[in-house]
Amino acid sequence: MTATIVAMLSMTVVGLCVALAIDRSLRGPMLLGLAYLYGSGAIFIVMFVMTILHIRWNLLTVSVPLIAVAALALIRRQPATVNRPPVKPHWLDIPTAISIIGFGLFATAAPLWEWDFWAIWGLKARLFLDHGGIDWRFLESPWNAFVHPDYPLLVPFNFDFVALLNGGWSDRWLGLLSVGWAAAVLLIIRGLASDESSVVPAALVTLVVTDLAASRYPGLAEGPLIAFGVGGLLFIRRALHNNDSAAWRHGPILLGLAASTKNEGLALLVSATIALLIIRRRDVWRLWPSVAIAAPWLILRATHYLPTDIASGSALSRVLYRSRFTGDILSYLAAHLYEPWFWGSILLGLLIAPSVMRRREGFVLIATVIQIGFYIGSYFATPHDARWHVVTSWPRLTDQMAIPITYVVFLALAKYVAAMKDSPDVEARPVES
Amino acid sequence: MQRRILALVALLAIVALRIEPQLLQMPFVNHRVLSIILTRWPETQMPGDWLRFPRFLQQVRARTKEGDKITVIIPSMKWDEGYSYAFYRSSYFLTGRQVLPLVDAEDHSHMENFYGSQYVMVWHRPVHPRMGKVVWEGEGGALLER
Repeated sequence: MTATIVAMLSMTVVGLCVALAIDRSLRGPMLLGLAYLYGSGAIFIVMFVMTILHIRWNLLTVSVPLIAVAALALIRRQPATVNRPPVKPHWLDIPTAISIIGFGLFATAAPLWEWDFWAIWGLKARLFLDHGGIDWRFLESPWNAFVHPDYPLLVPFNFDFVALLNGGWSDRWLGLLSVGWAAAVLLIIRGLASDESSVVPAALVTLVVTDLAASRYPGLAEGPLIAFGVGGLLFIRRALHNNDSAAWRHGPILLGLAASTKNEGLALLVSATIALLIIRRRDVWRLWPSVAIAAPWLILRATHYLPTDIASGSALSRVLYRSRFTGDILSYLAAHLYEPWFWGSILLGLLIAPSVMRRREGFVLIATVIQIGFYIGSYFATPHDARWHVVTSWPRLTDQMAIPITYVVFLALAKYVAAMKDSPDVEARPVES
Repeated sequence: MQRRILALVALLAIVALRIEPQLLQMPFVNHRVLSIILTRWPETQMPGDWLRFPRFLQQVRARTKEGDKITVIIPSMKWDEGYSYAFYRSSYFLTGRQVLPLVDAEDHSHMENFYGSQYVMVWHRPVHPRMGKVVWEGEGGALLER
């Protein structure tokens, strides 16, 4: 347990330096949340670069570049461009905090137990720890296709960082990392919401999305994907609304890290790019950090011929064949929709919200629709039994996209109810200096 | 005005449907039962008695070295009837070794992996002399050297 806590604190310290280098005006919950996410991302990038350079991981070889990253970030601290007042706490934050403590107790009730942890994420981490870097021979073996060798490696590398500090592999307390990712995205949501609404909606929307952030699958990549993906989308939304240059840095970096977490993160990057092309074409170039972060793994996995199961064999022929059963597949998806009443309430909220608000939230709405379209498309292309694939993944996939749309619909409705058009009396409106 | 009331109803619905009482209750309940269930979770998802399998694999790990090729024999040599679990679980506990399956997802036999292995793990099945020489027995299984 000590090693995991020390690892999380180390990540946060490195991340604090990086976050302040990117945006000097950060403070409060948003700074803390971004610090954890950037720290997690910095560990991934450092360990990834080391494995490319054939430098064997150990505590010393990983720590030195991490300290160097933190030191360089401290030197590069930019002047603040936005004067951001502190976030006011509210009693509604107490149930959120209790829920996160509850999630912590759940995630650490036992050594990580999920099948996908010990067959994919934990297995890779344990393997790479023994190897001192990526074990390409293992990933390339056709017998090991079950580990999904093409999946990005941020999560296994984060587990390995804990193991290096621990002096060996232990899956007993790794669930705490999942708690960190959940808490980080909630802190970011609380901070972002406080900047655009009054304290009650900001605290309430954070509480409302807590169980989505606290993914039911500790130890899997769902939680960090949600954290990085939600952060990425909401910062780009903020950048579009406020023309905030710092948000234009946070959003793409977080999306790049989401793409380094799971293949769905890569799809999210594509969805966000298309949404941006539709909403504001001239700003698409600003997503370059996402591409810079995601591209090296894509190149490496292509050069090592690591297979992607969805694209294996003749994906097109499977899509063409299943397209005849489109109605059946969509009905099956509707029947297996997790929490249909919740999605119904979101849809209702979307219809009730004034059209000007819907237009204002175009980026998040379009990105969400495209992403869900990709998920549905994957059921047409899957080489597995489509029903089995739906049952085993559809609830997880819809959870991944639930936070951004809940956030925008909830705040739009809250503003409408309170007749707070464009939040003239927000709790903490950023002031351009 | 009606639309605002509808908006309020939608807001309240989202709040009611999204707040998770289980997470809120978690700090105030006894976790011992949950902890026991989750500790045994991976071993209780497949038919058969697998509870000692992790301890068996830990012993196998202690008796083999990095790079060794190991395969596994279990009572049911069908992919979806436990073999996939045994193969994946072995891969997790025996990282650094090369764990090879004897059947694939289509239940095709791969005896070449048996002949190419240095060790065979036999779980909950009698050992046959032709499988190899017994190196260690215990925790419901045996490790054989070929």
